[in-house]
Amino acid sequence: MEFVKKLQESIEKHTDHNALCINNELYTYKQFAIEISKIRLEIANNIKDSEKLVGLVTNDDLQTYASILALWLEGKAYVPVNPTTPLERNIKIFELTETKYIIDSSEDSIYKKDYKVLNSASLSETEVSLTPKFVKGDQIAYILFTSGTTGLPKGVPITFNNINALVNAIDEEPEFNLVPSDRCLQMFELTFDFSVVTYLFPFLSGSCIYTIPKGAIKYFYIFKLIKEQKLTVLTMVPSIINYLRPYFSEINAPDVRYCSFGGGALHSDIAKEWSDCLPNCKIFNYYGPTEFTVYSGFYPYNKKTHVKNHNGIVAIGTPQKDTVYLIVNENNEEVDKNVTGELCLGGPQITPGYWKNIKRNAQSFFTQTDKNGKKIRFYKTGDLCFKDEEGDFLYVGRADFQVKIRGYRVELAEIEFHAKTKSEKKVNMVALDITNSLGNAELGLAIESEVFDTEEIFNYMKTKMPGYMIPMHVRFIKEFPHSINGKIDRKELRTYFEIK
Amino acid sequence: MNKEEIFSKIKEAFITVLEHDNFQLKEETTAEDVDGWESITHMMIITEIEKSFGIKFKLMDLMNMNNVGDLVRTIEAEL
Repeated sequence: MEFVKKLQESIEKHTDHNALCINNELYTYKQFAIEISKIRLEIANNIKDSEKLVGLVTNDDLQTYASILALWLEGKAYVPVNPTTPLERNIKIFELTETKYIIDSSEDSIYKKDYKVLNSASLSETEVSLTPKFVKGDQIAYILFTSGTTGLPKGVPITFNNINALVNAIDEEPEFNLVPSDRCLQMFELTFDFSVVTYLFPFLSGSCIYTIPKGAIKYFYIFKLIKEQKLTVLTMVPSIINYLRPYFSEINAPDVRYCSFGGGALHSDIAKEWSDCLPNCKIFNYYGPTEFTVYSGFYPYNKKTHVKNHNGIVAIGTPQKDTVYLIVNENNEEVDKNVTGELCLGGPQITPGYWKNIKRNAQSFFTQTDKNGKKIRFYKTGDLCFKDEEGDFLYVGRADFQVKIRGYRVELAEIEFHAKTKSEKKVNMVALDITNSLGNAELGLAIESEVFDTEEIFNYMKTKMPGYMIPMHVRFIKEFPHSINGKIDRKELRTYFEIK
Repeated sequence: MNKEEIFSKIKEAFITVLEHDNFQLKEETTAEDVDGWESITHMMIITEIEKSFGIKFKLMDLMNMNNVGDLVRTIEAEL
């Protein structure tokens, strides 16, 4: 596999360069190579060739990153689970993927009772060996799980071919070139697909990534890294700068060369102010869902020359190499320019389909023949967009009840499902996204009832869903407002949540 | 304003943001000791404290704040 080979070459070429900075400790590519080799040998010695999906507990350490590369060199996929996510949800993920083996760098793994656990932190020395095994392109490289409407997380498998296509597309882009001296922010959980671009591209270029220790106040730690480590490349979700906005006047970071946004709508007013803090920086507004291997295209925002937006949301621009954007109506027929419809994505980065979910796959994917008679398979993103006269795509809103919380996709229906399951009172509950004064979305739970104690419901939800999915605000409303056609009026319901 | 008053005002800010009062604030209290105190709520608590004390923190101070004691000292310096 081409990109795995390139990773090998980069690691071997940049041995003296720093690869990772974790909790103020620097690790060189040489140390990284040793760690990868140790883990890879352990995998080869202990995991059967037929076992392709391997669990990975995403601690913030050298071993966890090395495990990803070790698995790829061995032609296997990682199934990441976050140690702070409820155990029950993680075990569900391992059940769904029939994972038997788990790599865990924790001192005492909580999985060792029911799974075969490889402890990646206590392996003996071995020779460096980074030559990849042969792997077929349609084999899976990782599976990530996102929120699902029925209470079950939804698996998105991404193949080696998918990643290879992503690497090819970014390589084609002349505006974005990492060099070995770059210091890159890696602020994402490894269970979040945005993390793939924040470790993969730096490793391919011999650059160094800087992670955020678990438990640190993310926003201030990022600023600390920018200031003290003089980061040159930032990849972030827009909510980060929303929270830092009150302090923009104190931020001046001339070393930053690139700042890429993704995982949520970027607003043009804040983009302009942020760009004032980074005087020598190119800003990219990336678009792309997990189902299409992180990125599918971008808009090169520039406060002077490129400020295209719709209702204040910066344009998502054009598709990258080999990717096709199609905007369709309810019958999956292409609509005209300037007409809003659902954005669909086609090309080599498209996932083979949701993990063991025939029903969902029938809804979310379709095949169409283009004018040259070529069959293209499309993924329906659920994002409403239109294409303007110049060929740029602009984001309008969502077609369903999926919301973004700090970059994470959340199905409001999943929250309602878990809240109602545990409630003894059978009352109506609606989960809502509410915008706080800094412009970020927070979750609220509206309950149609007299006030009652929700502690048990919340304790239950905390065992079922990751922290970002737990509503931060609760309101009891005696009778929900309804629109004229009898539906619950969500817009009106939001006004009950006056939050600061 | 004495320390006690500062502590009590800080506690109010925590309650407003976290929507519960199931915690004790001491000098050595950190985010790990209080349910719901994490990156996001921290930002909201900071904003709430700025409002109630009528002060504006500096990013440099916020960057090196590790526990409630640090928070109190920064507030004292600003008052």
